[in-house]
Amino acid sequence: MSPELPQQPSVTRRQFLRNGARVAALTGLGGLLGVMAPRSAAKGTVWQIDPQKCVRCGNCATHCVLEQSAVKCVHAFAICGYCQLCTGYFEPEPNDLNTGAENCLCPTAAVKRTYVEDPYYEYTIDERLCIGCAKCVEGCNRFGNGSLFLQVRHDRCVNCNECAISKVCAGDAFRRVPADQPYLLKTTSH
Amino acid sequence: MKNRNQSITRRHFLKETAGGAGILAVGSGSFAASMGLARGASVGKDPNPFAYDVERLRKTDPKLIHYEQVGHFAGPSPDPRRIVIGPEDRVYIAAGNSVSVLDREGARVMDVGLGTGARCVAVAGDGTIYAGVRDHVEVFDTKGKRLATWDSPGKRTWFTGLAVGENDVFAADAGDRVVLRYDKSGKLAGRIGEKNKERNIPGLIMPSPYLDVKLARDGLLRVNNTGWHRVEAYTPSGDLEFSWGKPSNAIEGFCGCCNPVGLALLPDGRYVTCEKGLPRVKVYSPEGVFESVVAGTESFVENAKATLVKGTEDCRLGGLDAAVDSQQRIYILDLVANDVRVMKHKA
Repeated sequence: MSPELPQQPSVTRRQFLRNGARVAALTGLGGLLGVMAPRSAAKGTVWQIDPQKCVRCGNCATHCVLEQSAVKCVHAFAICGYCQLCTGYFEPEPNDLNTGAENCLCPTAAVKRTYVEDPYYEYTIDERLCIGCAKCVEGCNRFGNGSLFLQVRHDRCVNCNECAISKVCAGDAFRRVPADQPYLLKTTSH
Repeated sequence: MKNRNQSITRRHFLKETAGGAGILAVGSGSFAASMGLARGASVGKDPNPFAYDVERLRKTDPKLIHYEQVGHFAGPSPDPRRIVIGPEDRVYIAAGNSVSVLDREGARVMDVGLGTGARCVAVAGDGTIYAGVRDHVEVFDTKGKRLATWDSPGKRTWFTGLAVGENDVFAADAGDRVVLRYDKSGKLAGRIGEKNKERNIPGLIMPSPYLDVKLARDGLLRVNNTGWHRVEAYTPSGDLEFSWGKPSNAIEGFCGCCNPVGLALLPDGRYVTCEKGLPRVKVYSPEGVFESVVAGTESFVENAKATLVKGTEDCRLGGLDAAVDSQQRIYILDLVANDVRVMKHKA
């Protein structure tokens, strides 16, 4: 024969409701904190791309909530080789090394080529035209010094709580950085 | 016996609540994880409308490949840089902190320790070994005994190639964009390739440190001017005689920002050139006309990846080098895979 269970005080309807109300209040408070916490953390931070993680997948051009992406190609001139055959500027098989549209890699002609002296050319980005597709970045990284890379430009970025590009970033390169240090610049090749 | 009509206690109520919350949390986690996976899957599915497509350049027309592989062996030490063939077809490889001497099958004969990173090597007809480290040249006898350590020419010196003649040693300094001419005692005797309008010399352009120098049978030096995508011929006194080469990713040209990164010479004056980016080894006539492919990009899978992957990979450490033995077999040193392929002309 099993021992009889000790007598437990039964829960009254009032106690049950009181406890229920406490649990509901605590749950609500927890939920509110949960919702507010990321916003508090995000305060004073902005989205940026780590150029060492970027895989040039093209998603920056197509997934930003803005009509024209806030991601732009930027150029670390200190790393650039000022190459005559810039693989960030020219199609893989150009007819000639000139500025003819058929020879240019950029789909929006945002990369400008300027003669410096033989055999050096300077390449600059027209951000009004750049859509952040990373085609030039891929060419430069694959065959050159990797001086072209992508960055979120904060004069355009609306700093969404959940960046639409970061959700699809193939290289997991998006992260939040302090707003007073908003860029992750390249200082060495590759 | 358990009482089915037992009323709920506070303890039981809280326990059940905690259990439910736990299950809910696990469920949420699983849901989030599944969403993450789905997101990852969707990333993989989307084709990149802006893809930089060079796949067609990575395949070589088989008709152009005139060489076949007849040997293969692993590199003797990590971080290989240059390969040369010395007397008795001994193979000398500058790698790690030493110059390794191998027989023609790749068996190690001797290691010559340098104490610091070996960048380049040249071997005289009498077997004397000239080894370049970053900023100076060291000299060893055939047994590997150190004979001399030459002074460093400067702070920016970055030796990446060496050649030795009867009376001279030529050291390619990529840091200063110059080929230094030494006598065999280590005394600096001249500077070759520096920009000089009066001598009509455009200067060496080196976006990446791969300056090479070879001494041909015609007595002229061959130097790879990678930024100009060409090979230049200089007299030992520094006059520019001629040059050839053009920038192009197509097979007949030199690809990328800066190629060729390595040179070797066949006895009849033809050139063997090595490229990085699209790693490939080709043969050009003495006049610089493209003739054939020794090994195409598809032969160097690991090497080609060096510039494909993200992160800290550095194409400055990629590339190939080549040397020719007495039977005109071409030894290709793969700086990424750290191996040597021996290629012979097809019958």
